[in-house]
Amino acid sequence: MKIFIDPPNSLILFDLVERFGHEPLGAMAPIQERIDMTEMDMPPMNVTLDDVIKGLKYAGIEVPSGIRGRLALWGPLIEEADAAIIMLDPPFNFGCVGCERSNEMVRYMIRRRGIPSLTVTYPEDEEEAKSVVGQIKEFLEGLK
Amino acid sequence: MIKIAQLSCGTEYSSVQAEVEKAARSVGAKVVYPDVSYADVNNAVKRFGFNPRSPQLKLMIARAVQLADEKYDADAVFITTCFRCAEAALVRNELRRFIQENTRLPVVTYSFTERLKAAQLLTRMEALVTIVTRKDILARERQTGLTAGIDSGSSTTKAMIMENNKIIGKDWTPSGDVVQSATSVLENAMKEAGVEFKQIEAMGVTGYGRFTLGRHFNAKLVQEELTVNSKGAVWLADRQQGEATILDIGGMDNKAITVRDGVPDNFTMGGICAGASGRFLEMTSKRLKIDIEDLGRLADNGDWRNAKMNSYCSVFGIQDLVTTLGEGKSFEDVAAAACHSVAEQVYEQQLQEIDVRHPIIQVGGTSLISGLVTAVGEVLGERPIVPPHSQYIGALGGALLSSGFL
Amino acid sequence: MSEERETRIFMISPNSMMTPDQLVREIHAMGKGVTAKETCYGTLVEGSRELVREVLAAVREKHPYDIYSKVRAYPTGDPRRCRAQHGTRPGYSQLEAEWEALPLIQHGIICSERGEAFETPKEKDKLPPEEFKKICEAFQ
Repeated sequence: MKIFIDPPNSLILFDLVERFGHEPLGAMAPIQERIDMTEMDMPPMNVTLDDVIKGLKYAGIEVPSGIRGRLALWGPLIEEADAAIIMLDPPFNFGCVGCERSNEMVRYMIRRRGIPSLTVTYPEDEEEAKSVVGQIKEFLEGLK
Repeated sequence: MIKIAQLSCGTEYSSVQAEVEKAARSVGAKVVYPDVSYADVNNAVKRFGFNPRSPQLKLMIARAVQLADEKYDADAVFITTCFRCAEAALVRNELRRFIQENTRLPVVTYSFTERLKAAQLLTRMEALVTIVTRKDILARERQTGLTAGIDSGSSTTKAMIMENNKIIGKDWTPSGDVVQSATSVLENAMKEAGVEFKQIEAMGVTGYGRFTLGRHFNAKLVQEELTVNSKGAVWLADRQQGEATILDIGGMDNKAITVRDGVPDNFTMGGICAGASGRFLEMTSKRLKIDIEDLGRLADNGDWRNAKMNSYCSVFGIQDLVTTLGEGKSFEDVAAAACHSVAEQVYEQQLQEIDVRHPIIQVGGTSLISGLVTAVGEVLGERPIVPPHSQYIGALGGALLSSGFL
Repeated sequence: MSEERETRIFMISPNSMMTPDQLVREIHAMGKGVTAKETCYGTLVEGSRELVREVLAAVREKHPYDIYSKVRAYPTGDPRRCRAQHGTRPGYSQLEAEWEALPLIQHGIICSERGEAFETPKEKDKLPPEEFKKICEAFQ
């Protein structure tokens, strides 16, 4: 099944979803799709004005352009996903997930779609890590 | 290659990063990102004391700290974030302040929309590069020899002839064809000075038409108006040393520049709408069927409080004006309200992006509208200095700086 | 995603004894025809999706707890993301932070494979104002 991961660029979530036999939907695919388009020249990511305008589907014109651009990338993935895993409070969320307003909106969009979702909090010690990985494994196995 | 450190949030997702880099490249600079490690980010945010929710803003803080600690080598700083993002606006301004307090790097801030094009950033990037590469020329405080300066602005074109640090000829005209307008004012200025073109040893051109004029006259100095105007302003106001703020409410856009010894270290240049520019006063005077110079005098005798005009946009502003006149308010009060509205918007839109330093030197054609100077003084709590010939700053700066090539 | 190319980050957990060099040699030795480039945290592997997945499966089987992986959008050495061109991009700090977290995840995976019971954390409530008031009063 297709599992949207949040943060969408997390190596840890990507790895765990694959490890437990599912297909992770993350930030990398829509970016690769854009950067491989050689006819476009909006480096570094080829996110175009058209993308930012498409973002109006998710947020109005009074919302900053950076949020609309991000939502234009992640929005279609959320629509495509069969389930989602959200990790709260990760120490890592730069780059693609650098805007907390966008991140909050992404989490809301997952909830609004009503697909099965698991929310875990980033572990601070081994006991919590055991719980996080255990919950993710249980959730993913339950989807099969 | 001049290195401009970019501290930003949202550029890559707004389709504007390529435009930022294009603008930098076109003025011979390169955009770089100060290197930071994950540990640097946490430490920098703790030290800075502002902990934004958005991680990219934390990264901006860490990059600024790298610059302040001289762990990363750059020549200038460009701080930019999405328009309408409150969190980013707070961080952007505080980081600008932090960079100014902790480094000697010139810095410019900008809030962008997805429609940003490289051309909009060109003058700002060019000014950053000028400040870095032309330190020697910008340090010039006295004009020598016989030189000319032309300022090809959006509303008016000005020319000035100087000889041995004295103004000997000047003229201005409303801008039409760039070359024709410049030729006409230059000829008149030369006539007043009693000199011929072949006697002029060097020429400096600035303003929107600078590239065309630079080629046409084979000018020694072709430079953006931010640095040129600053030098002209401090020369005219006799404030070459120390700090000052230069405020130029222009025909299309406004400039607020802070200088240290006549060299800008921070500036904003803007005007999303004409409501906060000289254009609005021009429209007001037309509606009142008076000369724009008279508008200032009328305004000095009026009270803006009697005729509320509170618009961000020149169209709504004129609507307010019509309504107010319809209510039978006096021309004096209406003129004062128009001046106050422009001053208030300049304060809200431009002066929030810089730290005002004293004295404030108001220049440009609009500084001749006394009511506007009064209104700026009221809004800022300090009447600006308006030096003589204040509309000629660009032309004077061109003549002054081009003598550096002799 | 392009069927032609898949670029993958293989990250070595900080408590592993493996070196990026060993991993690169191991991947080359598989003879799959993918490229493997050594990086400070492991290796970047690039090739057709099918071959890269085969490499991933082999690496996972051999080093189930040492190596973690995700796809990367940019090809290896792409100037748009190259550190030498501009300095580090934001994603670099993120990778660094995730790398530090891998030993915890490793512990979690080992426990889950052993089938160890785990607790689902309960949401913590705020201290009721009445109780906080009592505590405050105790200090008076």
